[in-house]
Amino acid sequence: MVNQLYITAFYVLFALLAPPVTLGTICKVKARLQNRIGAPLWQPIFDILKLLRKDETLSKTASWVFRFAAAINCSLAIYLVVSVPWLQPKPEWGGIDLFTFVYLLAAMRLFTLLAAMDTGSAFGAFAASREATLSFLVEPASVLSLASLGIVSNSPQLNIIFGFHNMHAFHPGLWAISGTALLLASIVELSRMPIDDPTTHLELTMVHEAMLLEASGRNLLLFEYANTLKLTVLFGLSAQCYLHLIPLPVDSRWEVYAIGSVVMLLVVAVTVAVFEALAVKLHWTKAPDFIAYAITLAVIGSILALGAGGI
Amino acid sequence: MSLSLNDLVAFSIAVCAILMVGSTHLRLNIFLFSLQTMLLVYLSTLYAHHHAEEHLYLIALALFALKAVGVPVFLLRIIRQVHVQRDAGTLLSAPIAMHTALAFLAVSYMLARQLPVPPSAGLGWPGATAAISLVCTGLLLMLTRRIALSQIIGFLVMENGIYLFGLTQTRGMPMLVEMGVMLDVLVGVMISGLLAFRIQKSFEHIDVSMLVDSKE
Amino acid sequence: MHPLLIVVLAPVSVLVLSLLIPSTRLLSRIAPVLFFVQLAAMAFSLFPVLAGQEKVFCLLPELCVDRLGALFSLLTQVVVAAATTHAVVFFEQDDAHNLQNTRSVRIFYACSSLLLLAMTAVYFCDNLGFIWIALETTTLCSASLVYYHGTKHSLEAAWKYLIICSVGIAFALFGTVLIFASSQYGATPKGSLNLSELSAHAEYLRYPLLRLGFLFCLLGYGTKAGIFPLHGWVPDAYSAAPAPASAMLSGGLLNCSLFAIWRLCELVRASGHDSFVQHGTLTIGVTTVIAASIFLVHQHGIKRLFAYSSIENVGLMIIAIGLGSGHLFFLLAFNLSVAKVALFLTVGNIVQSTGTKAIADIHGLLAKNPQWALVLLAGSLAVSGAPPFGVFLAEWGLLVHITQFHHWLVVAGLVIGLTISFLAVMFHVGKIVCGTCRPGDISFYPWRSVLVPAGLMVVSLIAGVSGLSQLF
Repeated sequence: MVNQLYITAFYVLFALLAPPVTLGTICKVKARLQNRIGAPLWQPIFDILKLLRKDETLSKTASWVFRFAAAINCSLAIYLVVSVPWLQPKPEWGGIDLFTFVYLLAAMRLFTLLAAMDTGSAFGAFAASREATLSFLVEPASVLSLASLGIVSNSPQLNIIFGFHNMHAFHPGLWAISGTALLLASIVELSRMPIDDPTTHLELTMVHEAMLLEASGRNLLLFEYANTLKLTVLFGLSAQCYLHLIPLPVDSRWEVYAIGSVVMLLVVAVTVAVFEALAVKLHWTKAPDFIAYAITLAVIGSILALGAGGI
Repeated sequence: MSLSLNDLVAFSIAVCAILMVGSTHLRLNIFLFSLQTMLLVYLSTLYAHHHAEEHLYLIALALFALKAVGVPVFLLRIIRQVHVQRDAGTLLSAPIAMHTALAFLAVSYMLARQLPVPPSAGLGWPGATAAISLVCTGLLLMLTRRIALSQIIGFLVMENGIYLFGLTQTRGMPMLVEMGVMLDVLVGVMISGLLAFRIQKSFEHIDVSMLVDSKE
Repeated sequence: MHPLLIVVLAPVSVLVLSLLIPSTRLLSRIAPVLFFVQLAAMAFSLFPVLAGQEKVFCLLPELCVDRLGALFSLLTQVVVAAATTHAVVFFEQDDAHNLQNTRSVRIFYACSSLLLLAMTAVYFCDNLGFIWIALETTTLCSASLVYYHGTKHSLEAAWKYLIICSVGIAFALFGTVLIFASSQYGATPKGSLNLSELSAHAEYLRYPLLRLGFLFCLLGYGTKAGIFPLHGWVPDAYSAAPAPASAMLSGGLLNCSLFAIWRLCELVRASGHDSFVQHGTLTIGVTTVIAASIFLVHQHGIKRLFAYSSIENVGLMIIAIGLGSGHLFFLLAFNLSVAKVALFLTVGNIVQSTGTKAIADIHGLLAKNPQWALVLLAGSLAVSGAPPFGVFLAEWGLLVHITQFHHWLVVAGLVIGLTISFLAVMFHVGKIVCGTCRPGDISFYPWRSVLVPAGLMVVSLIAGVSGLSQLF
């Protein structure tokens, strides 16, 4: 009972801190690799506070959908943070299954697209079409990787798949392959390198930033915060996959899982940062080649799950 | 039922080959080939330890020195001399080729289930699946790539697959035969590399699909 | 004298000499002498096996040869000796036209000696793995021979040869591993590649693995021989290689790969699956013969023409192997090899004198060089299977043997294929031989250039007319 209180407190604290810190880590590591000092780790928190104080400028052609979509987007992201086991140990709140997870991501994307197209600017529509293309190309990867994990755990509920109390068999290969597939799919979903440079200023190549071009002030805050939360959840899930590679005993104390999750999340953040620093942005027509890698790994994972794990 | 460490290593060798098919970047292909051969060396040592076969240690050592290190270095040198970085055109585009390799993986799984269980190994079919899929992937590389160097890499992947099959289905072929095979493959790679260099000097490219059949 | 030296001494000395002696004239004269000496020594030591007094002749405990292998190794020796004898004249002509590169000639002799060593090893090896190694070595050596001229055409041919044969030989290795895997369920728990051991315990070989292994080996070694779907390298390689090398490839190397297939067929037959072997080989043989004869109809190059004729011969020999008749197999191989060597050497002369390989550009050979024309005609008649040459007897014997097994479709297919190929070859050769010769064509006739081919055709004639075939 007391344990649950501690777990809940830890979870809430981390859910507030982790998103900005993860983003900050990625930017800092990238900056160091590029021989710059870079912004401090807490920079995203400062950005949030800054955006809170700023005024909004709304386009005349925008309708109520523009602000409504931002709010919906952010609420969905908060719901994801609360229900997806991106951090262990998780309090016993409601869990969702993997298909709902994918649909929630798609719903978030839908509202972002609506907001982007609502202002009537060409850049927003262009980026919206790119985002839509990427999402349907990469969907097999995310679904198959989670589904293969689900087959092995005999349940589609994410809590049960990623929960540490249900590890009856040790499948390091499957977790590694599915984790990598999920990581690559997340990179594509979040439109990070090598699909798109998040720091680019070239509107014609932007995927995510161009959709937010018209947003400002609190609207922009909602969008950016939602994106940060989505980033944390997706990378957190991949970190959980890698955490399952370590043969932790089934009934360890919750602190072990907590420390493991935090460390893994940082490791994944650093890996992504290194990858971003070394990778070159792919030409748009070469993006499907990269996505094919994610899909291939996911299919290999599902073959492994079906052949070795059994239904 | 979960797979043992041996089977996982064999499977990751097959995964390396499949990832190789999906990239037309020659240096990445050579790196994946080197990684795959090192995994094969690791598997050989595991088998040598498990079955107490001394000659597998020596074969693993030769495999490491010659195929995991020597051949990639040689091929990188040829790349530098020939000034080619990417395989410009392939008969199948990279993602489709990768999915074809996945289909081959499924086919080799079905084929491997039909083979009789070897008396020495615990679970025979993961190793056989990986080996047959390696041979098919190597064949895919050889047939669908246009650059001479990719064809050499495809041949080497096929040889890896055949060796893996021998390793997992039997206790390893006699040492003299394995050494002879490795030597022959090595000399073959060297001669092919030299010919590829000559092709570049003669034709100004190493695109073998442009070597038109002579009608003399 | 240790028996191993008989086989090894001559090729190794030619190899060493080719690296040391700078003068190609001296080298090209010493090599045939050494090879003929080796031929005599081998004939002498193998005589007990040939006469049937002894079962096997052993160089080393693992290297034993039986009667058929002894016959084939002597045949290979004859082929290489004849080809290198003619090479003297060939390189002289190159020298006279200032087309020669000393380094290339020395590489030629080095690779030929290695090729001879590897080809002999195929017949002497009792171990499937060693047979594979020897055949792969022959591929590598002969690739260098194909690349002799160093032109774009020969480069392309050498590359195609290397790649296609590498794929084939990789399949053969896979088949060998499968057979090795099939052998570990019975009397040899650790598995064995030794052919005598495997044949002795043949009924213990696991059938699915054995069948798969046999199929892969058949495909693999068949690629090296040139069976139908995988024959793409044969016309280019035979066309690009210099005449003595083409003669060695078609007269010697072909038999090596077919001999490996023979050994495998014997093994599968010993384990009791005769019908499977027959079906596989007969299908492949008939397809190859018919396909080759269709290709022969429309040919433009003189060397490519006889390369396709070689492919057809491979089909015939595979059928003989599949039916299990070693006698017929060797008869076909002997007669065809002798005829083909003579043919390729004469064609080499023609190409050298006219400077072109296109049939359309060569006319009136009978008027220009009646000796060459006669040998060419005799060779083409022999290779297409017309009497009175030995090939006719061998092919007739094969057809009779097939009818004993009641494979009527096969007989019909073979007859059609052989007829078409005969007509096609004679049509093209007729275009070359007949007609008027244009003034100003280069014409030379050193009598030595026709010595070896004519001698070989005489041998073929004797084999056809007399009862020499009963000896084998």
